[in-house]
Amino acid sequence: MIPVRTSVVLLMVCSVALLSCSSSHSDRIVVGSKNFTESFILGELIAQQIEAHTNLKVERRFYLAGTYICQQAMLAGRIDIYPEYTGTALTAILQQGISRDKREVYERVKDEYERQFGLTLASAFGFNDTFAMEIRGEDARRLNLRTLSQAAQFTPQWRAGFGYEFMERPDGYRGLVATYGLHFAEQPRIMDLGLLARALKDRQIDFAGGNTTDGLIPALDLVALEDDRHYFPPYEAVPVIREQTLQLHPEIARWLADLAGKISDEEMQKMNYAVDGQHRDTQDVVREFLKSKALVP
Amino acid sequence: MNLLRFFAQNHTQVLELTGEHLWLVGWSTVFAMLIGVPLGILIAHRTQLGRPVLAGANIIQTIPSLALFGFLLPVPWLGSRAERLAILALTLYALLPIIRNTYDGIRGVDAAVVEAGRGMGLTESQLLFQVELPLALSVIISGIRIAVVISVGLATIAAAIGAGGLGEFIFRGLSMVDNRVILAGAIPAAILALLADFGIGRIEKRLRPR
Amino acid sequence: MIEFRDVSYGVNGIQVLSGLNLRVAHGEILVLLGRSGSGKTTTLKLVNRLVTPTSGRVLVNGKVNDQVDVIQLRRGMGYVIQEAGLFPHFTVERNIGLVPKIEGWPQERIHARVQEMLQLVGLNSDMASRYPHQLSGGQRQRVGVARALAADPAILLMDEPFGALDPLTRDELQREFLLLQQRVHKTVVFVTHDLREALRLGSRVALMEAGKLVTVLTPAEFLKSSDPWASAYVRAFGDGLESAANRGTS
Repeated sequence: MIPVRTSVVLLMVCSVALLSCSSSHSDRIVVGSKNFTESFILGELIAQQIEAHTNLKVERRFYLAGTYICQQAMLAGRIDIYPEYTGTALTAILQQGISRDKREVYERVKDEYERQFGLTLASAFGFNDTFAMEIRGEDARRLNLRTLSQAAQFTPQWRAGFGYEFMERPDGYRGLVATYGLHFAEQPRIMDLGLLARALKDRQIDFAGGNTTDGLIPALDLVALEDDRHYFPPYEAVPVIREQTLQLHPEIARWLADLAGKISDEEMQKMNYAVDGQHRDTQDVVREFLKSKALVP
Repeated sequence: MNLLRFFAQNHTQVLELTGEHLWLVGWSTVFAMLIGVPLGILIAHRTQLGRPVLAGANIIQTIPSLALFGFLLPVPWLGSRAERLAILALTLYALLPIIRNTYDGIRGVDAAVVEAGRGMGLTESQLLFQVELPLALSVIISGIRIAVVISVGLATIAAAIGAGGLGEFIFRGLSMVDNRVILAGAIPAAILALLADFGIGRIEKRLRPR
Repeated sequence: MIEFRDVSYGVNGIQVLSGLNLRVAHGEILVLLGRSGSGKTTTLKLVNRLVTPTSGRVLVNGKVNDQVDVIQLRRGMGYVIQEAGLFPHFTVERNIGLVPKIEGWPQERIHARVQEMLQLVGLNSDMASRYPHQLSGGQRQRVGVARALAADPAILLMDEPFGALDPLTRDELQREFLLLQQRVHKTVVFVTHDLREALRLGSRVALMEAGKLVTVLTPAEFLKSSDPWASAYVRAFGDGLESAANRGTS
């Protein structure tokens, strides 16, 4: 029989071995993204940009299920960069009040992230992906609707669908309903973001909480209602990066800066559609885009 | 096979996530042992405390894991880092098997042997460390084995709250509707659990008193 | 050497012992004889304070035994129980050497002592490396005695030590125990329910019934006693008691 002392030592050695398993990847960059198409397009963009211009090995850790999870992964050092939206960062992570000014939101997020988390923002990609309340094109034309205020009176007859995060976030469903006086007949259906447009098209819902850069808007003849009361804050897409990573690899800053302002709302819609609607490979779509902008040789 | 190729292409990430998984399981098991074994010894010697302590640990076990993660998220220091939260939750779930088995193990030591030892003039601490613990060790380690196997499984859920680990593959695979990715998380997790069960089981067997 | 003064013990509303007055002289083997529930084991455990009296006092060597450090008290007494209570995870050597070890004896002295004890109880020296589960019942009991004697205590407490053995082995061990006692001269308190064993081993027999001391007699006196309980025992055990009383070693 093993004497007590030996087995205790054995157990302790195993424990220490397990405990020292935390990852450190100073030789690699890990790029994260959330789990919807636009986020992995942006993530892939960042990844390919870094791969093309540096010797760094890039790991992709996409499909992280939400803002909180990405934030946690950044804080723990499991990912180094990921694409976030200024409005989301402000309300969901920093838990601060909504503001309408694009510049102000960006600056505030950048300052707070640097101060509280040791994270920083690179320059924005160029488009504003804010919430777009979508209805079917035929309904919009029939009822002559262009804005959310006009649509409010029809909401009792409509079934709505939103993504999970939208329902929970302070800058989401609750505020929308209050600002525009919407009165949906039933509780909105909570669905995966990727399925909303199709559900709208197929008449499972009549009002969908989508985004301005939805590729399916033009493709499925959907209409994005105008946010005439300016409820939704700006959501500029930006790369968020760990300051530690920048210190280790300062060259990244330059290549990220290269991406600044390069994507318009329409270009983002097109890329989204290429992946979602035409089922093309994300990597190909991104490579094509980078070439078209002469960002990579 | 498709799956093997996937593992080959993504082996760094598989290893990385496995490492994160082990880190979560490792710390929580250590904490659970540090709390659970002394507690088990205490209630084995003071049986009136036994019922409330075991009942408490039992109640914790019945809380669905995702719900417990959810409860703890808003807590100030804990909720701000997913790994802390995950380790706390995993520690709580590991407590019952460890406390229970320590209690059973010590109570299962032949009372005549303990009394003979006491009658010979061993102090309570000598009795504990030289007689009771060595004889109870096999059962205690069995409890640790159960705790580790449970933890490996529960740690997959930790990915849902952002603590990393093999669960991340599983959730990603579900989002992507890609079985290979799901399996890339599920298979290593299952292997870890089996290895732990087998490995610790061997130690347990060697320690069993004849 | 050991004295009980008006000792009573009750637990959970049951009076296990009442009004016990008894003296054990230096160097004698005092047998506590009685049936189950008579309080004989409790009496034994009062000596090494595994049990504390609810009233009255127990004195060892003139000192009340709750005035001295209980650990030192116990280490100064050998304690042998039925089925030996050997530590299953220790070798015979570690079992026997346990009290010397915790008393801080140097390793060589312990080793020599273990060999001495093995010889004393009639065991082969290569037994030292065996484990209890590898020994027969009789061998285990011998190790139990060796363990109790290892630190050379003045007092030996034995609680039906030969009760679980077959008659042949029991007879053997009783005989050897008498020879052993001639060599080591310990003060022994020996618990049994077997009259034959009591008459054979005891210098005096203390008969107990329902928590009370009935009478204390020498073996010869016991056989001729007119005390109702004593004669009941003699009747129950039938013939051949005289030879036991005469320390028959046949």
